[in-house]
Amino acid sequence: MEFIREPISHFSKRSTVLKGFAMGRLFIKLTIIIIVVLLLFMPVNNFVKQSHDYNINHEILAFKKHPYPVNIINLGASHSMYGYYFKPTGLSHLDLALPAQTIQYDFKLLKEYGKYLKSDGVVIVSISQITFANSEAKHIGNYYKVLDRTEIEPFRLIDYYRYLYLPGTNSGSFNSALSGKLKNFKWNSHQPWANNGRNYSERKYEKVEAQYREAVENNNSERNMKQLKEIVNYCSEKGYRVILTMEPVHQSYKEYFNEEVMNRLVFQHLKALKLDVPFLNYMNDQRFADNKNYFIDPDHLNREGRKMFSWIVYRDLKKLGYL
Amino acid sequence: MTFISIEFLLFFAIIVFTYYLIQHRLRWILLLVASYVFYAILSIQFIPLLLASTAFTYFTGIIIEKQETKKQKKKVMLVGISVLLFFLGWFKYFNFVNDSLRAIAKYMDWNYTVPYQEIVLPLAISFYTFQAVSYLVDIYYGKQRAERHYGYFSIFFAFFPQLVAGPIERAKKLLSQFKVEHSFNYENINYGMKRIAWGFFKKTLIADRLAPIVSSVFDSPNPTGSQIVLATILFSIQLFADFSACSDIAIGCARMLGINLTENFKQPHFAVSISDFWNRWHITLSTWLRDYVFIPLCKGKKKRSEIYLAILITFLVSGIWHGAAWNFVLWGLIHGIYRVFGDYTKHFRGKIASFIRLDRSPVLHKWVKISITFLLVCFSRVFFRSDSVTHAFENAQLFLTLSSWRPSGMIKALEIYSLLDLVIFMFFFIIVQIFQYIERRNTSTWKSLSQRLIFTRFAFYIFIILSVLIFGVSGKGFVYGGF
Repeated sequence: MEFIREPISHFSKRSTVLKGFAMGRLFIKLTIIIIVVLLLFMPVNNFVKQSHDYNINHEILAFKKHPYPVNIINLGASHSMYGYYFKPTGLSHLDLALPAQTIQYDFKLLKEYGKYLKSDGVVIVSISQITFANSEAKHIGNYYKVLDRTEIEPFRLIDYYRYLYLPGTNSGSFNSALSGKLKNFKWNSHQPWANNGRNYSERKYEKVEAQYREAVENNNSERNMKQLKEIVNYCSEKGYRVILTMEPVHQSYKEYFNEEVMNRLVFQHLKALKLDVPFLNYMNDQRFADNKNYFIDPDHLNREGRKMFSWIVYRDLKKLGYL
Repeated sequence: MTFISIEFLLFFAIIVFTYYLIQHRLRWILLLVASYVFYAILSIQFIPLLLASTAFTYFTGIIIEKQETKKQKKKVMLVGISVLLFFLGWFKYFNFVNDSLRAIAKYMDWNYTVPYQEIVLPLAISFYTFQAVSYLVDIYYGKQRAERHYGYFSIFFAFFPQLVAGPIERAKKLLSQFKVEHSFNYENINYGMKRIAWGFFKKTLIADRLAPIVSSVFDSPNPTGSQIVLATILFSIQLFADFSACSDIAIGCARMLGINLTENFKQPHFAVSISDFWNRWHITLSTWLRDYVFIPLCKGKKKRSEIYLAILITFLVSGIWHGAAWNFVLWGLIHGIYRVFGDYTKHFRGKIASFIRLDRSPVLHKWVKISITFLLVCFSRVFFRSDSVTHAFENAQLFLTLSSWRPSGMIKALEIYSLLDLVIFMFFFIIVQIFQYIERRNTSTWKSLSQRLIFTRFAFYIFIILSVLIFGVSGKGFVYGGF
């Protein structure tokens, strides 16, 4: 029997050696591939980490590190983020607005940073076309560092670490970073002022309409209305003075977001809430509507427009006795 | 945890590592636990249904085998199939039938009081039901012995790589593979990883990059004709990339465990006729329908008209299997008509080709046939993609309007993309086309790549991984995962 057992054990030893060799070969190959991928990926990751869009919350982060008492806090989405600059007025100001911010996150940020508002401070709640149509926060990563983890919804640990340390693996972040570098790499018709801003406004209108349809189907409007009411109540509880605003837009934008559309998207909901707070609507302000020089694109103010608009708001707040 | 996630890759890596670490006799337990865990993570509420369907099919199979006469066997088989189809019908088609009856009642002014039911479709029910039906039929015909090992049978029913969206496997092929001891095989692991990576590539760089573009047109209240044409063509590309990626990942995962699954696609968009298309698209479903619907329907039928009727019924079943909505029924019917028309006019078309001397240049002839087939498939997909019959007809009308095909309109329609996204998509689309071109030359791209220098090979693998990492978009799961 020995002669049978010996070849078998020899064969099994040989097969184990071969198996080990194959596994080793695989391991070495995978290691090489992973190392090269990592080496090539690192500059891409840094590129995204240093991009404007990835660091869009840097002012809030800086404030979080070195907080100070402020006179004004503004909430809202990109219209509000590009809307206010109160430094020349002498007021200290905290801008809590971020792109596509939902009203839910407005509230979360207010609860987190409201404590830094001076006793006679003002909270500007910016109302935009998407205020009642927004469903879920699109750029949730913007809040990872500025809010507590428990406030992030939905929170996924993998996404959290991926966003913080490997943002290059997020195609959305990478695309934004790349678009930021290649600002002019667009179809002519996609340039913000092509066709005097009408193309941009039309695209934005279609997007908002689609978002609004979805919001109506999913009852998001009611949820957002409730949330706005909660913000106002919270402010009155805490003794903050609250004001609703709507930032100016270019004439071309108003052509699409006309009175009828705005009534449907925004004002009907606002009226139904019967909020006892002033509403400063600058959307139709002619000082801005006809002047492209105040805008980056038809619905976002540029540095110049921001300064001028903030002075106007400042004066109106004074008139109202808020400052 | 979908296929396209870090969680799945980690989960699968642990399974593969453990699989080759433990003894063969314990592996079925590992695969079964992994399959149920995978299903539970995706859809825990339907685990009881999966378990019940498994047990029911297992015992029905044994009972069929134990019957002495063919008649008795048939009776048990039919009862078994009816129960399985009842579950499928209840979850998938109840509201479809209910809504249709309500619409008829309204039209006829009848009183119809059955209310709408909130029924959630159990994950993968269409796939595992078809697998179960084929198992019972094969036992009845004596092609398959009823499996006595409950564990192996349960894995056949719920094998996680192919559970969600196929390939639809036959017991004869799959069960036997579970029983064979698979030792660690470098080639299998290597090939499996490549297939998975390629699946990720197609899904994240083609399918999920196209999905929002296609949706923006089909969800728009007033798309232009050119936009519908472009979006439909893009949807065809998206659907193929999405579904074939799912199959690639399934085949790759199974291969890493030493199991060979059936190929589900053979470059269907290069088919030269509709019948050729169905030999290349969702092959495991096509063969299933052929073996379990078409052939039984044709039994004893000799007349051409009867065969054509069987073709139409088979494609209607295919349409209904895809989705419980009239637009899917119409989609199936359109393919049935294509198939019948194609067969009926075969000689006539041949004569025309020869009359215009197209057959003298076979390459041109082939590409004309490919283009026509692709456009016919695209037209049918207007019905597949539209969310209602009314929209489907509106979109189909736009698709068929000649002005929708004006080049200037098409170029304008491209602007639904941002220029940057278009460039990125085109780049990866060309890569996929090169890959397919190599395959069409009767060479496996992976084999051809393995003959290149190590530097070239590694560069390609690194390119795939980096592309997926940086440019990959992860969407909402697989289109066929919803069926």
